Amino acid sequence: MNTRLKVFAGLGALTVVLAGCGSGGNAGQAQDAAPSGDLAKVDYTGDVSVITKYAGENSAFFQKMATDYEAAHPGVHVKLQQESDQGYKDKIKTLVASQSLPDVYFSWAGNYAEQFYDNGVALDLSSQIGAGTPWASTMAPSAVQAFTKEGKTYGVPISLDAKYMVYNKKLFSDAGVQVPTDLAGLLSDCDALKAKGTTAMAFGNKDGWPAIHYITQLNSYEVPADTLDKDYSPATATFDDPGYEKSLTDFKQILDRCTKSGSGANGVDYYSERDSFGQSKAAMFYVENLEFATMVPKGSKAESDGWGLFRLPAPTGAAGDTGSLTGAPDGFLVNPKAKNPALAVDFLKFVTNADNAKVITETIGYPSPVQGGLTEQNSSLQLRDSIDDLNKASRLSIWLDTVTAPEVAQAYLSGVEGLVSGDTSPTDVISSVKAASKQAQ
Amino acid sequence: MASAELTVVSPPGTTRAAGDGPPPRRPRRSGGARRRWSGLVWVAPALLAMGAFVYYPLLLNFRYSVQKTNIFTGQQRFVGLDNYIRLAGDPIFWRALTNNVWYAVLSIVFQVFFALVLAALIEDMRSPRMRAVLRSVYFLPSAISLTVTGLLFTFIYQPSGGLLNGLLDGAGLDAAQQSWLGNPHTAIFGIIAMSQWQGFGYSTLLFAVAIQRIPRELYESATLDGAGPARRLFSLTVPMVREMTGVVMIVTISGAFQVFNEVMVMTAGGPNNSSQVLGTWLYEAGFIRNDFGYAAAIATVIFTVTTVLAVLQIVHTSRRRVA
Repeated sequence: MNTRLKVFAGLGALTVVLAGCGSGGNAGQAQDAAPSGDLAKVDYTGDVSVITKYAGENSAFFQKMATDYEAAHPGVHVKLQQESDQGYKDKIKTLVASQSLPDVYFSWAGNYAEQFYDNGVALDLSSQIGAGTPWASTMAPSAVQAFTKEGKTYGVPISLDAKYMVYNKKLFSDAGVQVPTDLAGLLSDCDALKAKGTTAMAFGNKDGWPAIHYITQLNSYEVPADTLDKDYSPATATFDDPGYEKSLTDFKQILDRCTKSGSGANGVDYYSERDSFGQSKAAMFYVENLEFATMVPKGSKAESDGWGLFRLPAPTGAAGDTGSLTGAPDGFLVNPKAKNPALAVDFLKFVTNADNAKVITETIGYPSPVQGGLTEQNSSLQLRDSIDDLNKASRLSIWLDTVTAPEVAQAYLSGVEGLVSGDTSPTDVISSVKAASKQAQ
Repeated sequence: MASAELTVVSPPGTTRAAGDGPPPRRPRRSGGARRRWSGLVWVAPALLAMGAFVYYPLLLNFRYSVQKTNIFTGQQRFVGLDNYIRLAGDPIFWRALTNNVWYAVLSIVFQVFFALVLAALIEDMRSPRMRAVLRSVYFLPSAISLTVTGLLFTFIYQPSGGLLNGLLDGAGLDAAQQSWLGNPHTAIFGIIAMSQWQGFGYSTLLFAVAIQRIPRELYESATLDGAGPARRLFSLTVPMVREMTGVVMIVTISGAFQVFNEVMVMTAGGPNNSSQVLGTWLYEAGFIRNDFGYAAAIATVIFTVTTVLAVLQIVHTSRRRVA
């Protein structure tokens, strides 16, 4: 393409997003996303538009849901769009700016979801799934809580995701190490495994977020919960607690003593490292439970070696909540401007009913937040163990890259990449996080 | 074909006395006007499309760059030059700009200078078949999508099991092994190297076409005068392809300031923002940090740089054009 045309095309893309913002005024949606009519009275006619981030290998579940819902309600047409993870992040901004949001749309929990709710583009669903409602009673309370702000519930959790350290039982046994109970134990296990010639922990940080998941958990251990809540909200953030630097130091120790990739991990792909655990080439891997089925497929070497899971061990004497667990549900929000909001809510009720809670695990291996969704027939022992353990967690620590403002998340992402490569210190990282937080205010 | 009658028509004015009143309307002018109008009708759809999809968004972008936008509510607030002031104080913007300059400089070295030398070597070969084969071989990478090439090189640069580190290991250069895309000091150069591999053949092909237009007699004369290959290159080939060199250079530099795909695929600007370029920093500002006014300001900078280079291209080409 001609050089100038390329420039114009690039500018055009940006302008398309901004052009939807209206012209210099208050063209946006109302800030108050009050319930639109009676959400319990459903008119089963017309369209319900849905956008997910489950394209590709995870698309089967929503395809089935759309087909089944249409079969159950012949007057309804489900207009389903499924995007990749990154594609969704790009597309949703354009849809919001052009006020073309589908009726039902995906969201991560935390600040990511709150930005929709705070700006009036997510419907208040408290009357349907708020505390004490029949729908909420079918779900894990922590999952519903993740989409609740100031007593109002505005999202429907669809899957229950938590981060665990998985380990290869045979490699642990060969090296004579036990499941660690604290961070020091983990580090000494790593030393023993390495002495045996085994890669103690697989780790790839090419995308930045794998390291952030460690930091999410370690922040939760090292910083008191109240302080975390205050600092993750830019309006009240200071990031003065010494625990933030401690958690970065903890992570650096894990990186240096446990991983083979070490300071080169920024150039290593997360998914190839995940595969190396399935092939028994590494003794441990820090992974989301909804990846279990992909990570250790049937017939893999890790499956025959036997594998288990434990939480990332907390440092002894840590000042934060050592009973917390990194994880969050993925969920869906409803557009207040949907033509038929009751139908949109009904579709989500259908997707999260008891039967379909089993179907999501059967089709794509995701654990449902609906109680009773996991059975011996549709899930592995490890997946059921993870959900049992999740229900015992004192608190769910939402991913650091979605729980806080995008500026702060980006400062953490790039800062921790520098920490991995050895170019920045924990103090430098926190300085840049403080600066980003101040800017976000 | 003009008829004999047409050749005897008197020129306008020669058959009309002064003071005869206004000159009669000439049928030819009426026909010309009609042709002009019909021409405009034909190009109007394209003009309208360009106006709507290129020039209007361009003007809007300037407006957005002086506003702060909340994409959720649609509220836009005039902030003057605030976005540009923030840009001037943003170290990552300057790093991105520096990376674009590195991109441009190295692209000139490889895609202009080395491509010209390679084209001259290829065109100097005796066998026409070999010349055609080599032109195709060098052009082939340009036919591969940038995204595919980026992914391919990601595997080549893998620190463990990657082809490059494997070659270094085989050559006994273990100490030179790197996490090429994971090291903030090498990431951008790894991407630039990939880009040169991809774009090198295209420039070579353009130069080969330009060299083919040089009369062979000039080379024969130079050879008879005792000029060796190097002398023929610098004293004959280089001056004779000057116009093409100028065009390739400007296109290469402009392209270097618009680079995006390969960086997104290979590093997304990381690690620690070390491989950010203006395009990826714009993307991050707009689509990740929701700071669309700031992104529009970056877009304005890219537009300004590339427009200046495009004007240089036009001026350069018009001056060098052979009548």
